[in-house]
Amino acid sequence: MTRKQMGYLFITPTLLIFALLAVYPVLKTIGLSFFEYRLQFGEAKSFIGFSNYYKLFSTPRFYASLRFTILFTILTVTTEVGLGLLFAQFMNMNYKGRSFLRLVVLIPWAIPTIVSGFIWRFMVNDQYGILNHIFESVGIIDSFIPWLSQPATATAVLVTADIWKTSPYISLLVLAGLQNIQRSQLEAASIDGANAVQRYFSIIFPALIPILATATLFRLIQSFKVYTIIVALTNGGPANSTESLTLYTLRTYFDAGNYGYGSALATVTFSSNGSHCTYVSAGNSKQD
Amino acid sequence: MIERKIDRVIFYAFLTFFIVLIGFPFFWQLSNSFKPEREIFDIKWLPEVPTWANYAAAFSRQPLFSFLMNSLIIAGFATLLALLFGSMTAYAIARTNIRGKKPLLLLILSISLLPPIVIISPIYNIMRALSLLNSHGGLIIVNMLFCLTLSVWFLTPYFNSVPTELEDSASIDGASPFQCYTTIIMPIVAPGVFTVGILAFIQAWNEYLFALVMNPIRVKTVTVGLKLYEADNYIPWGPLMAASVVIIVPLIAVVMFLQRQIIGGIMSGGLKE
Repeated sequence: MTRKQMGYLFITPTLLIFALLAVYPVLKTIGLSFFEYRLQFGEAKSFIGFSNYYKLFSTPRFYASLRFTILFTILTVTTEVGLGLLFAQFMNMNYKGRSFLRLVVLIPWAIPTIVSGFIWRFMVNDQYGILNHIFESVGIIDSFIPWLSQPATATAVLVTADIWKTSPYISLLVLAGLQNIQRSQLEAASIDGANAVQRYFSIIFPALIPILATATLFRLIQSFKVYTIIVALTNGGPANSTESLTLYTLRTYFDAGNYGYGSALATVTFSSNGSHCTYVSAGNSKQD
Repeated sequence: MIERKIDRVIFYAFLTFFIVLIGFPFFWQLSNSFKPEREIFDIKWLPEVPTWANYAAAFSRQPLFSFLMNSLIIAGFATLLALLFGSMTAYAIARTNIRGKKPLLLLILSISLLPPIVIISPIYNIMRALSLLNSHGGLIIVNMLFCLTLSVWFLTPYFNSVPTELEDSASIDGASPFQCYTTIIMPIVAPGVFTVGILAFIQAWNEYLFALVMNPIRVKTVTVGLKLYEADNYIPWGPLMAASVVIIVPLIAVVMFLQRQIIGGIMSGGLKE
Protein backbone atom coordinates (compact mmCIF):
# COMPACT_ATOMS: atom_id res chain seq x y z
CA MET A 1 0.00 0.00 0.00
CA THR A 2 1.40 3.39 -0.95
CA ARG A 3 1.21 6.32 1.35
CA LYS A 4 -1.32 8.01 -0.89
CA GLN A 5 -3.62 4.99 -0.77
CA MET A 6 -3.30 4.94 2.98
CA GLY A 7 -4.23 8.62 3.03
CA TYR A 8 -7.49 7.91 1.23
CA LEU A 9 -8.16 5.00 3.56
CA PHE A 10 -7.47 7.19 6.58
CA ILE A 11 -9.98 9.88 5.64
CA THR A 12 -12.75 7.38 4.84
CA PRO A 13 -14.22 7.02 8.36
CA THR A 14 -14.26 10.80 8.80
CA LEU A 15 -15.95 11.32 5.44
CA LEU A 16 -18.60 8.70 6.24
CA ILE A 17 -19.31 10.35 9.60
CA PHE A 18 -19.57 13.77 7.96
CA ALA A 19 -21.83 12.47 5.22
CA LEU A 20 -24.23 10.73 7.58
CA LEU A 21 -24.30 13.21 10.47
CA ALA A 22 -23.78 16.57 8.78
CA VAL A 23 -24.26 16.67 5.01
CA TYR A 24 -27.34 14.43 4.87
CA PRO A 25 -29.10 16.17 7.82
CA VAL A 26 -28.49 19.62 6.32
CA LEU A 27 -29.95 18.56 2.94
CA LYS A 28 -32.84 16.81 4.67
CA THR A 29 -33.67 19.92 6.69
CA ILE A 30 -33.59 22.13 3.60
CA GLY A 31 -35.80 19.61 1.78
CA LEU A 32 -38.34 19.37 4.60
CA SER A 33 -38.71 23.14 4.68
CA PHE A 34 -40.79 22.84 1.49
CA PHE A 35 -43.25 20.42 3.08
CA GLU A 36 -46.19 20.61 5.42
CA TYR A 37 -45.11 18.09 8.03
CA ARG A 38 -46.55 18.02 11.52
CA LEU A 39 -46.20 15.43 14.21
CA GLN A 40 -49.95 15.55 14.88
CA PHE A 41 -50.63 14.26 11.35
CA GLY A 42 -48.23 11.30 11.65
CA GLU A 43 -45.76 10.70 8.85
CA ALA A 44 -47.91 12.42 6.22
CA LYS A 45 -45.98 15.08 4.28
CA SER A 46 -47.32 17.28 1.53
CA PHE A 47 -45.28 19.52 -0.75
CA ILE A 48 -46.24 23.15 -0.31
CA GLY A 49 -43.40 24.99 -2.06
CA PHE A 50 -42.36 28.21 -0.37
CA SER A 51 -45.42 28.44 1.90
CA ASN A 52 -43.40 27.89 5.09
CA TYR A 53 -41.16 30.78 4.09
CA TYR A 54 -44.13 33.07 3.34
CA LYS A 55 -45.53 32.20 6.75
CA LEU A 56 -42.15 32.77 8.38
CA PHE A 57 -41.61 36.21 6.90
CA SER A 58 -45.07 37.31 8.00
CA THR A 59 -44.74 36.06 11.59
CA PRO A 60 -43.90 38.76 14.17
CA ARG A 61 -42.39 36.16 16.50
CA PHE A 62 -39.80 35.29 13.84
CA TYR A 63 -38.78 38.93 13.50
CA ALA A 64 -38.67 39.33 17.27
CA SER A 65 -36.37 36.35 17.67
CA LEU A 66 -34.20 37.48 14.75
CA ARG A 67 -33.94 40.99 16.20
CA PHE A 68 -32.98 39.62 19.62
CA THR A 69 -30.40 37.27 18.10
CA ILE A 70 -28.78 40.05 16.07
CA LEU A 71 -28.77 42.43 19.02
CA PHE A 72 -27.26 39.79 21.28
CA THR A 73 -24.63 38.89 18.69
CA ILE A 74 -23.53 42.47 18.08
CA LEU A 75 -23.37 43.40 21.77
CA THR A 76 -21.47 40.31 22.82
CA VAL A 77 -18.99 40.08 19.97
CA THR A 78 -17.93 43.73 19.99
CA THR A 79 -17.45 43.79 23.76
CA GLU A 80 -15.71 40.43 23.81
CA VAL A 81 -13.21 41.42 21.15
CA GLY A 82 -12.52 44.72 22.94
CA LEU A 83 -12.01 43.06 26.30
CA GLY A 84 -10.03 40.26 24.66
CA LEU A 85 -7.56 42.83 23.31
CA LEU A 86 -7.22 44.38 26.76
CA PHE A 87 -6.80 41.10 28.67
CA ALA A 88 -4.30 39.81 26.14
CA GLN A 89 -2.17 42.91 26.69
CA PHE A 90 -2.20 42.16 30.43
CA MET A 91 -1.39 38.52 29.97
CA ASN A 92 1.52 39.31 27.67
CA MET A 93 3.32 41.44 30.24
CA ASN A 94 5.98 40.15 32.55
CA TYR A 95 5.07 40.22 36.22
CA LYS A 96 4.48 38.15 39.31
CA GLY A 97 1.15 36.38 39.29
CA ARG A 98 0.94 36.08 35.53
CA SER A 99 0.22 32.37 35.61
CA PHE A 100 -2.48 32.96 38.22
CA LEU A 101 -4.22 35.37 35.83
CA ARG A 102 -4.01 32.79 33.07
CA LEU A 103 -5.59 30.20 35.35
CA VAL A 104 -8.43 32.51 36.38
CA VAL A 105 -9.05 33.35 32.75
CA LEU A 106 -9.47 29.68 31.84
CA ILE A 107 -12.18 28.98 34.41
CA PRO A 108 -15.11 30.73 32.68
CA TRP A 109 -14.06 29.13 29.41
CA ALA A 110 -13.92 25.62 30.87
CA ILE A 111 -17.19 25.48 32.79
CA PRO A 112 -20.43 24.49 31.05
CA THR A 113 -22.60 27.33 29.76
CA ILE A 114 -25.56 25.97 31.70
CA VAL A 115 -23.55 26.28 34.94
CA SER A 116 -22.48 29.85 34.26
CA GLY A 117 -26.10 30.62 33.39
CA PHE A 118 -27.32 29.38 36.77
CA ILE A 119 -24.57 31.25 38.64
CA TRP A 120 -25.59 34.50 36.97
CA ARG A 121 -29.26 33.78 37.60
CA PHE A 122 -28.44 33.35 41.28
CA MET A 123 -26.38 36.55 41.37
CA VAL A 124 -29.20 38.66 39.89
CA ASN A 125 -31.96 37.08 42.00
CA ASP A 126 -34.55 39.68 43.06
CA GLN A 127 -34.59 38.69 46.75
CA TYR A 128 -31.09 37.55 47.67
CA GLY A 129 -28.97 38.29 44.59
CA ILE A 130 -25.52 39.62 45.38
CA LEU A 131 -25.56 42.04 42.44
CA ASN A 132 -28.69 43.73 43.77
CA HIS A 133 -27.02 43.84 47.18
CA ILE A 134 -23.83 45.42 45.82
CA PHE A 135 -25.65 47.89 43.56
CA GLU A 136 -27.94 48.91 46.42
CA SER A 137 -25.11 49.44 48.89
CA VAL A 138 -23.15 51.68 46.48
CA GLY A 139 -26.33 53.54 45.59
CA ILE A 140 -26.80 52.61 41.93
CA ILE A 141 -30.29 51.31 42.66
CA ASP A 142 -32.74 52.17 45.46
CA SER A 143 -34.17 48.72 45.99
CA PHE A 144 -33.68 45.21 44.65
CA ILE A 145 -34.85 44.96 41.05
CA PRO A 146 -36.10 41.83 39.26
CA TRP A 147 -33.48 41.86 36.51
CA LEU A 148 -34.88 38.92 34.60
CA SER A 149 -38.49 40.14 34.58
CA GLN A 150 -37.91 43.09 32.26
CA PRO A 151 -36.82 42.66 28.63
CA ALA A 152 -34.03 45.26 28.69
CA THR A 153 -32.38 44.17 31.92
CA ALA A 154 -32.86 40.49 31.09
CA THR A 155 -31.03 41.06 27.81
CA ALA A 156 -28.29 42.93 29.66
CA VAL A 157 -27.78 40.02 32.04
CA LEU A 158 -27.65 37.51 29.17
CA VAL A 159 -25.11 39.63 27.31
CA THR A 160 -22.99 40.09 30.45
CA ALA A 161 -23.01 36.37 31.23
CA ASP A 162 -21.89 35.56 27.70
CA ILE A 163 -19.17 38.20 27.77
CA TRP A 164 -17.92 36.84 31.08
CA LYS A 165 -17.71 33.36 29.63
CA THR A 166 -16.14 34.11 26.26
CA SER A 167 -13.85 37.16 26.54
CA PRO A 168 -11.13 35.05 28.18
CA TYR A 169 -11.06 32.70 25.20
CA ILE A 170 -10.73 35.60 22.76
CA SER A 171 -7.92 37.02 24.85
CA LEU A 172 -5.97 33.76 24.47
CA LEU A 173 -6.34 33.97 20.70
CA VAL A 174 -5.16 37.58 20.73
CA LEU A 175 -2.30 36.57 23.02
CA ALA A 176 -1.17 34.07 20.40
CA GLY A 177 -1.08 36.95 17.91
CA LEU A 178 0.82 39.21 20.30
CA GLN A 179 3.49 36.59 20.88
CA ASN A 180 4.09 36.34 17.15
CA ILE A 181 5.09 39.99 16.93
CA GLN A 182 8.85 40.32 16.73
CA ARG A 183 10.39 41.86 19.82
CA SER A 184 13.09 43.40 17.63
CA GLN A 185 10.46 45.33 15.69
CA LEU A 186 9.07 46.87 18.87
CA GLU A 187 12.53 47.68 20.20
CA ALA A 188 13.48 49.38 16.95
CA ALA A 189 10.35 51.49 17.14
CA SER A 190 11.02 52.48 20.71
CA ILE A 191 14.61 53.45 19.84
CA ASP A 192 13.15 55.60 17.06
CA GLY A 193 11.24 57.42 19.80
CA ALA A 194 7.78 55.92 19.47
CA ASN A 195 5.87 55.92 22.75
CA ALA A 196 3.73 53.05 24.01
CA VAL A 197 0.52 54.32 22.39
CA GLN A 198 2.22 54.96 19.05
CA ARG A 199 3.85 51.55 19.18
CA TYR A 200 0.46 49.98 19.89
CA PHE A 201 -1.33 51.58 16.98
CA SER A 202 1.48 51.49 14.43
CA ILE A 203 2.86 48.00 15.05
CA ILE A 204 0.88 45.86 17.47
CA PHE A 205 -2.66 46.55 16.35
CA PRO A 206 -2.04 46.18 12.59
CA ALA A 207 -0.26 42.89 13.26
CA LEU A 208 -3.31 41.65 15.17
CA ILE A 209 -5.86 42.49 12.48
CA PRO A 210 -5.85 39.11 10.68
CA ILE A 211 -6.32 37.22 13.93
CA LEU A 212 -8.99 39.66 15.10
CA ALA A 213 -10.88 39.37 11.83
CA THR A 214 -10.99 35.60 12.02
CA ALA A 215 -11.81 35.58 15.75
CA THR A 216 -14.62 38.08 15.17
CA LEU A 217 -16.17 36.05 12.39
CA PHE A 218 -15.94 32.83 14.38
CA ARG A 219 -17.56 34.53 17.33
CA LEU A 220 -20.29 36.08 15.16
CA ILE A 221 -21.22 32.63 13.96
CA GLN A 222 -21.11 31.08 17.43
CA SER A 223 -23.00 33.91 19.06
CA PHE A 224 -25.72 33.66 16.41
CA LYS A 225 -26.40 30.10 17.63
CA VAL A 226 -27.06 31.30 21.20
CA TYR A 227 -29.30 28.93 23.11
CA THR A 228 -27.96 27.33 26.29
CA ILE A 229 -27.30 30.49 28.28
CA ILE A 230 -30.88 31.60 27.57
CA VAL A 231 -32.32 28.30 28.77
CA ALA A 232 -30.47 28.66 32.07
CA LEU A 233 -31.26 32.33 32.65
CA THR A 234 -34.59 33.41 31.15
CA ASN A 235 -35.93 30.52 29.09
CA GLY A 236 -36.81 33.11 26.46
CA GLY A 237 -38.85 35.29 28.80
CA PRO A 238 -40.26 37.65 29.81
CA ALA A 239 -42.96 37.25 27.14
CA ASN A 240 -40.55 35.74 24.57
CA SER A 241 -38.48 38.95 24.57
CA THR A 242 -35.21 37.00 24.89
CA GLU A 243 -36.14 34.18 22.57
CA SER A 244 -33.30 33.51 20.12
CA LEU A 245 -33.71 32.05 16.66
CA THR A 246 -32.42 28.69 17.86
CA LEU A 247 -34.80 28.61 20.82
CA TYR A 248 -37.76 29.56 18.60
CA THR A 249 -36.84 26.85 16.09
CA LEU A 250 -36.40 24.24 18.80
CA ARG A 251 -39.80 25.06 20.27
CA THR A 252 -41.36 24.82 16.82
CA TYR A 253 -39.81 21.38 16.37
CA PHE A 254 -40.25 19.73 19.71
CA ASP A 255 -43.01 21.62 21.53
CA ALA A 256 -45.29 22.36 18.59
CA GLY A 257 -44.23 19.32 16.55
CA ASN A 258 -44.19 21.41 13.38
CA TYR A 259 -41.25 19.96 11.46
CA GLY A 260 -41.91 21.65 8.12
CA TYR A 261 -42.04 25.18 9.50
CA GLY A 262 -39.21 24.41 11.92
CA SER A 263 -37.05 23.27 9.01
CA ALA A 264 -37.71 26.56 7.22
CA LEU A 265 -36.57 28.44 10.34
CA ALA A 266 -33.46 26.26 10.59
CA THR A 267 -32.72 26.85 6.91
CA VAL A 268 -32.86 30.61 7.43
CA THR A 269 -30.41 30.28 10.34
CA PHE A 270 -28.21 28.09 8.19
CA SER A 271 -28.12 30.45 5.24
CA SER A 272 -27.29 33.46 7.37
CA ASN A 273 -24.45 31.43 8.85
CA GLY A 274 -23.50 30.22 5.39
CA SER A 275 -22.83 33.77 4.27
CA HIS A 276 -20.55 34.26 7.30
CA CYS A 277 -18.74 31.03 6.41
CA THR A 278 -18.07 32.26 2.90
CA TYR A 279 -16.42 35.34 4.39
CA VAL A 280 -14.30 33.21 6.69
CA SER A 281 -13.10 30.89 3.95
CA ALA A 282 -12.48 33.81 1.60
CA GLY A 283 -10.44 35.49 4.34
CA ASN A 284 -8.54 32.29 4.99
CA SER A 285 -7.59 31.61 1.41
CA LYS A 286 -6.41 35.18 1.02
CA GLN A 287 -3.91 34.55 3.81
CA ASP A 288 -2.52 31.38 2.22
CA MET B 1 8.74 44.88 33.15
CA ILE B 2 7.28 48.01 34.63
CA GLU B 3 9.83 50.42 36.06
CA ARG B 4 8.12 53.28 37.85
CA LYS B 5 6.64 52.46 41.23
CA ILE B 6 3.42 54.39 40.69
CA ASP B 7 2.89 52.63 37.36
CA ARG B 8 3.30 49.32 39.12
CA VAL B 9 0.69 50.23 41.74
CA ILE B 10 -1.82 51.24 39.06
CA PHE B 11 -1.01 48.10 37.11
CA TYR B 12 -1.59 45.79 40.05
CA ALA B 13 -4.77 47.64 40.97
CA PHE B 14 -6.12 47.00 37.47
CA LEU B 15 -4.93 43.43 37.55
CA THR B 16 -6.67 42.75 40.87
CA PHE B 17 -9.83 44.38 39.56
CA PHE B 18 -9.84 42.08 36.52
CA ILE B 19 -9.12 38.97 38.52
CA VAL B 20 -11.93 39.79 40.95
CA LEU B 21 -14.30 40.55 38.09
CA ILE B 22 -13.55 37.28 36.32
CA GLY B 23 -13.24 35.15 39.41
CA PHE B 24 -16.17 36.50 41.43
CA PRO B 25 -19.03 34.41 39.98
CA PHE B 26 -16.97 31.31 40.58
CA PHE B 27 -16.18 32.39 44.14
CA TRP B 28 -19.85 33.13 44.78
CA GLN B 29 -20.88 29.69 43.56
CA LEU B 30 -18.31 28.02 45.81
CA SER B 31 -19.16 30.14 48.85
CA ASN B 32 -22.91 29.53 48.60
CA SER B 33 -22.51 25.81 48.12
CA PHE B 34 -21.35 25.68 51.76
CA LYS B 35 -24.02 27.95 53.26
CA PRO B 36 -27.11 26.86 55.12
CA GLU B 37 -30.26 28.25 53.48
CA ARG B 38 -30.70 31.07 56.02
CA GLU B 39 -27.26 32.50 55.18
CA ILE B 40 -28.02 32.33 51.46
CA PHE B 41 -31.10 34.50 52.07
CA ASP B 42 -29.11 36.88 54.28
CA ILE B 43 -26.46 37.41 51.56
CA LYS B 44 -23.35 36.68 53.62
CA TRP B 45 -19.99 36.92 51.82
CA LEU B 46 -18.66 33.74 53.37
CA PRO B 47 -20.47 30.90 55.12
CA GLU B 48 -20.42 31.47 58.88
CA VAL B 49 -21.40 27.92 59.67
CA PRO B 50 -20.00 25.97 56.70
CA THR B 51 -21.99 22.86 55.95
CA TRP B 52 -21.79 19.90 53.60
CA ALA B 53 -25.59 19.57 53.68
CA ASN B 54 -25.98 21.11 50.20
CA TYR B 55 -23.64 18.50 48.74
CA ALA B 56 -25.59 15.69 50.40
CA ALA B 57 -28.82 17.22 49.07
CA ALA B 58 -27.31 17.59 45.59
CA PHE B 59 -26.79 13.83 45.44
CA SER B 60 -30.10 12.88 47.07
CA ARG B 61 -32.49 15.27 45.28
CA GLN B 62 -31.34 14.07 41.85
CA PRO B 63 -29.25 11.06 40.80
CA LEU B 64 -26.18 13.27 40.40
CA PHE B 65 -23.82 10.32 40.56
CA SER B 66 -25.42 8.68 37.54
CA PHE B 67 -25.42 12.03 35.69
CA LEU B 68 -21.66 12.15 36.28
CA MET B 69 -21.14 8.57 35.10
CA ASN B 70 -23.23 9.21 31.97
CA SER B 71 -21.25 12.31 31.09
CA LEU B 72 -18.00 10.52 31.74
CA ILE B 73 -18.93 7.61 29.47
CA ILE B 74 -20.33 9.82 26.71
CA ALA B 75 -17.59 12.46 26.71
CA GLY B 76 -14.89 9.82 27.18
CA PHE B 77 -15.88 7.58 24.29
CA ALA B 78 -16.72 10.51 22.00
CA THR B 79 -13.23 11.89 22.66
CA LEU B 80 -11.47 8.56 22.07
CA LEU B 81 -13.27 7.93 18.79
CA ALA B 82 -12.73 11.50 17.63
CA LEU B 83 -9.00 11.24 18.40
CA LEU B 84 -8.72 7.94 16.53
CA PHE B 85 -10.45 9.15 13.36
CA GLY B 86 -9.19 12.71 13.78
CA SER B 87 -5.50 11.78 13.95
CA MET B 88 -5.87 9.53 10.90
CA THR B 89 -7.47 12.37 8.95
CA ALA B 90 -4.98 14.94 10.18
CA TYR B 91 -2.14 12.62 9.14
CA ALA B 92 -3.68 12.17 5.69
CA ILE B 93 -4.01 15.94 5.26
CA ALA B 94 -0.57 16.81 6.61
CA ARG B 95 1.50 13.91 5.36
CA THR B 96 0.09 12.38 2.20
CA ASN B 97 -0.50 13.83 -1.25
CA ILE B 98 -4.18 12.91 -1.47
CA ARG B 99 -6.35 15.13 -3.63
CA GLY B 100 -9.08 17.39 -2.33
CA LYS B 101 -7.38 18.56 0.86
CA LYS B 102 -8.70 22.09 0.48
CA PRO B 103 -12.37 21.09 0.06
CA LEU B 104 -11.93 18.68 2.96
CA LEU B 105 -10.59 21.38 5.26
CA LEU B 106 -13.36 23.71 4.16
CA LEU B 107 -15.94 20.99 4.91
CA ILE B 108 -14.44 20.49 8.37
CA LEU B 109 -14.54 24.21 9.06
CA SER B 110 -18.14 24.52 7.86
CA ILE B 111 -19.29 21.60 9.99
CA SER B 112 -17.58 22.93 13.09
CA LEU B 113 -19.44 26.21 12.60
CA LEU B 114 -22.74 24.57 11.67
CA PRO B 115 -25.67 25.65 13.84
CA PRO B 116 -26.79 22.45 15.63
CA ILE B 117 -30.40 23.42 14.99
CA VAL B 118 -29.92 22.73 11.27
CA ILE B 119 -29.09 19.07 11.80
CA ILE B 120 -30.90 18.24 15.02
CA SER B 121 -34.21 17.04 13.65
CA PRO B 122 -32.81 14.65 10.98
CA ILE B 123 -30.26 13.35 13.50
CA TYR B 124 -33.07 12.79 15.98
CA ASN B 125 -34.87 10.69 13.35
CA ILE B 126 -31.72 8.76 12.44
CA MET B 127 -31.12 7.93 16.08
CA ARG B 128 -34.75 6.93 16.56
CA ALA B 129 -34.50 4.60 13.56
CA LEU B 130 -31.35 3.07 15.04
CA SER B 131 -32.98 2.82 18.51
CA LEU B 132 -30.24 5.04 19.91
CA LEU B 133 -32.44 7.60 21.65
CA ASN B 134 -32.14 7.55 25.43
CA SER B 135 -28.87 5.66 25.25
CA HIS B 136 -25.18 6.41 25.65
CA GLY B 137 -24.49 5.34 22.07
CA GLY B 138 -26.52 8.05 20.35
CA LEU B 139 -24.92 10.89 22.26
CA ILE B 140 -21.45 9.38 21.85
CA ILE B 141 -21.96 9.44 18.08
CA VAL B 142 -23.27 13.01 17.98
CA ASN B 143 -20.57 14.37 20.27
CA MET B 144 -17.99 12.52 18.21
CA LEU B 145 -19.02 14.57 15.17
CA PHE B 146 -18.20 17.89 16.83
CA CYS B 147 -15.11 16.54 18.62
CA LEU B 148 -13.91 15.16 15.30
CA THR B 149 -13.95 18.52 13.52
CA LEU B 150 -12.11 20.03 16.47
CA SER B 151 -9.55 17.19 16.47
CA VAL B 152 -8.72 17.41 12.77
CA TRP B 153 -8.49 21.19 12.94
CA PHE B 154 -6.15 21.21 15.94
CA LEU B 155 -4.12 18.10 15.08
CA THR B 156 -3.16 18.93 11.50
CA PRO B 157 -0.58 21.56 12.59
CA TYR B 158 0.97 19.03 15.00
CA PHE B 159 1.41 16.49 12.20
CA ASN B 160 2.78 19.21 9.95
CA SER B 161 5.47 20.05 12.48
CA VAL B 162 7.07 16.58 12.45
CA PRO B 163 10.19 16.64 10.21
CA THR B 164 9.62 14.64 7.00
CA GLU B 165 13.14 13.17 7.18
CA LEU B 166 12.12 10.87 10.03
CA GLU B 167 9.49 9.17 7.95
CA ASP B 168 11.62 9.13 4.79
CA SER B 169 14.55 7.38 6.44
CA ALA B 170 12.23 4.83 8.05
CA SER B 171 10.62 3.99 4.73
CA ILE B 172 14.07 3.56 3.15
CA ASP B 173 14.75 1.05 5.92
CA GLY B 174 11.70 -0.86 4.67
CA ALA B 175 8.95 0.32 7.00
CA SER B 176 5.46 0.42 5.47
CA PRO B 177 3.52 3.70 5.57
CA PHE B 178 1.27 2.24 8.25
CA GLN B 179 4.28 1.25 10.38
CA CYS B 180 5.66 4.77 9.97
CA TYR B 181 2.34 6.15 11.17
CA THR B 182 2.08 3.95 14.26
CA THR B 183 5.71 3.69 15.34
CA ILE B 184 7.26 7.00 14.27
CA ILE B 185 4.67 9.73 13.82
CA MET B 186 2.17 8.88 16.56
CA PRO B 187 4.71 8.78 19.44
CA ILE B 188 5.99 12.21 18.39
CA VAL B 189 2.56 13.83 18.19
CA ALA B 190 1.21 12.02 21.28
CA PRO B 191 1.47 15.10 23.55
CA GLY B 192 -0.48 17.11 20.97
CA VAL B 193 -3.10 14.39 20.71
CA PHE B 194 -3.41 14.44 24.49
CA THR B 195 -3.96 18.21 24.57
CA VAL B 196 -6.55 18.05 21.81
CA GLY B 197 -8.21 15.22 23.72
CA ILE B 198 -8.61 17.52 26.72
CA LEU B 199 -10.21 20.22 24.58
CA ALA B 200 -12.55 17.67 22.98
CA PHE B 201 -13.48 16.17 26.34
CA ILE B 202 -14.36 19.57 27.81
CA GLN B 203 -16.49 20.36 24.77
CA ALA B 204 -18.39 17.05 25.00
CA TRP B 205 -18.77 17.29 28.79
CA ASN B 206 -20.34 20.74 28.41
CA GLU B 207 -22.67 19.89 25.50
CA TYR B 208 -26.30 20.65 26.31
CA LEU B 209 -28.61 20.89 23.29
CA PHE B 210 -28.28 17.37 21.89
CA ALA B 211 -28.11 15.86 25.37
CA LEU B 212 -31.46 17.50 26.12
CA VAL B 213 -33.22 16.58 22.89
CA MET B 214 -31.95 13.05 22.39
CA ASN B 215 -32.07 11.68 25.94
CA PRO B 216 -35.18 13.13 27.58
CA ILE B 217 -36.03 10.03 29.61
CA ARG B 218 -32.94 8.00 30.44
CA VAL B 219 -29.16 8.56 30.44
CA LYS B 220 -29.20 12.23 31.41
CA THR B 221 -25.88 14.07 31.36
CA VAL B 222 -24.67 16.54 33.99
CA THR B 223 -25.69 19.59 31.97
CA VAL B 224 -29.23 18.29 31.47
CA GLY B 225 -29.42 16.99 35.04
CA LEU B 226 -28.54 20.38 36.49
CA LYS B 227 -31.70 21.89 35.03
CA LEU B 228 -33.80 19.28 36.87
CA TYR B 229 -33.07 20.78 40.28
CA GLU B 230 -35.39 23.60 39.30
CA ALA B 231 -38.95 22.47 39.97
CA ASP B 232 -42.30 24.30 40.18
CA ASN B 233 -40.75 27.76 40.14
CA TYR B 234 -38.66 26.88 43.15
CA ILE B 235 -34.89 26.65 42.90
CA PRO B 236 -32.98 25.11 45.82
CA TRP B 237 -29.94 27.36 45.33
CA GLY B 238 -27.70 25.71 47.90
CA PRO B 239 -27.94 22.18 46.44
CA LEU B 240 -27.90 23.60 42.89
CA MET B 241 -24.66 25.50 43.55
CA ALA B 242 -23.20 22.38 45.22
CA ALA B 243 -24.17 20.22 42.23
CA SER B 244 -22.64 22.70 39.81
CA VAL B 245 -19.41 22.73 41.84
CA VAL B 246 -19.32 18.93 41.62
CA ILE B 247 -19.86 19.11 37.86
CA ILE B 248 -17.03 21.55 37.26
CA VAL B 249 -14.50 20.06 39.70
CA PRO B 250 -13.09 17.65 37.08
CA LEU B 251 -12.80 20.54 34.62
CA ILE B 252 -11.11 22.88 37.09
CA ALA B 253 -8.70 20.09 38.08
CA VAL B 254 -7.80 19.49 34.44
CA VAL B 255 -7.37 23.21 33.83
CA MET B 256 -5.12 23.62 36.87
CA PHE B 257 -2.82 20.72 36.11
CA LEU B 258 -2.68 21.16 32.35
CA GLN B 259 -2.96 24.94 32.12
CA ARG B 260 0.16 25.29 29.98
CA GLN B 261 -0.86 22.61 27.48
CA ILE B 262 -4.43 23.89 27.19
CA ILE B 263 -3.36 27.47 26.59
CA GLY B 264 -0.76 26.26 24.11
CA GLY B 265 -3.39 24.15 22.38
CA ILE B 266 -5.90 26.97 22.09
CA MET B 267 -3.25 29.37 20.88
CA SER B 268 -1.61 27.08 18.33
CA GLY B 269 -4.65 25.58 16.67
CA GLY B 270 -7.41 28.01 17.53
CA LEU B 271 -6.90 29.98 14.40
CA LYS B 272 -5.17 29.32 11.19
CA GLU B 273 -2.36 31.77 10.75
